[in-house]
Amino acid sequence: MNDSSSKQVTSEQALNNGEIEDTIRLDPHIQEVIGKALRSHYDDILKLPIPDTMLVLLAELEAKERNKG
Amino acid sequence: MTDEPFRDGLIREMPNLRAFAVSLCGSLHLADDLVQETLVKAWSNADKFQPGTNLRAWLFTILRNTFYSLRRSRASEVADVEGLHAARLAVRPGQEGHLDLMDFRRVLAELPDEQREALILIGASGLSYEEAAEVCGSAVGTIKSRVNRARVRMAELLGIESADDIGPDRNSAGITQAEPWR
Repeated sequence: MNDSSSKQVTSEQALNNGEIEDTIRLDPHIQEVIGKALRSHYDDILKLPIPDTMLVLLAELEAKERNKG
Repeated sequence: MTDEPFRDGLIREMPNLRAFAVSLCGSLHLADDLVQETLVKAWSNADKFQPGTNLRAWLFTILRNTFYSLRRSRASEVADVEGLHAARLAVRPGQEGHLDLMDFRRVLAELPDEQREALILIGASGLSYEEAAEVCGSAVGTIKSRVNRARVRMAELLGIESADDIGPDRNSAGITQAEPWR
């Protein structure tokens, strides 16, 4: 149906086969809202205290290595 | 012998490893298992890390590979978005003026894996396009188009495809108003 060969497509565009979709640009405000939510999702987890189990694990790995000499 | 800075680096990157892991698997519980496994692998491969390169990107690569190989081996594992609710990670509605975090996470979990990881790596983790491309084993152009498709898809899923959907006062207060999206 979609005859892509009729379009002028550079080899680089063909490589990035998302090029056509990339022309669908979001309103900058919407992009900003999504960006903000993305960072708040991520930062929310960053702010959590590190579980002791992870620090204990690292200490164990270190101890094991020391014992090996 | 593993030197001190590497160990310190691992500790410094733990929060980022967790945040990336939660973003991949949708569950804090699974994420912590994933991070622990990543730490073990990182430690035993410390000699392969090139000092001066981005430790976060190197660790993310290990974590991502671990995630996909684990998931292949237990294909029945379902993303546990509810686990995030249970962990009470939610910000209160309206706080700090953005999208409800739980809605956002639900929608994030609906994205195809490759789009979600690209969006997180570029939009939140602080990696460059080049570093994200390396983490995912993809071309930079591929990452760019995935990020773009992810944003468009997020907007669709959140029902904010046009500027009208986010109200007249779009610069600030509009985002914080009650029921901004429905």
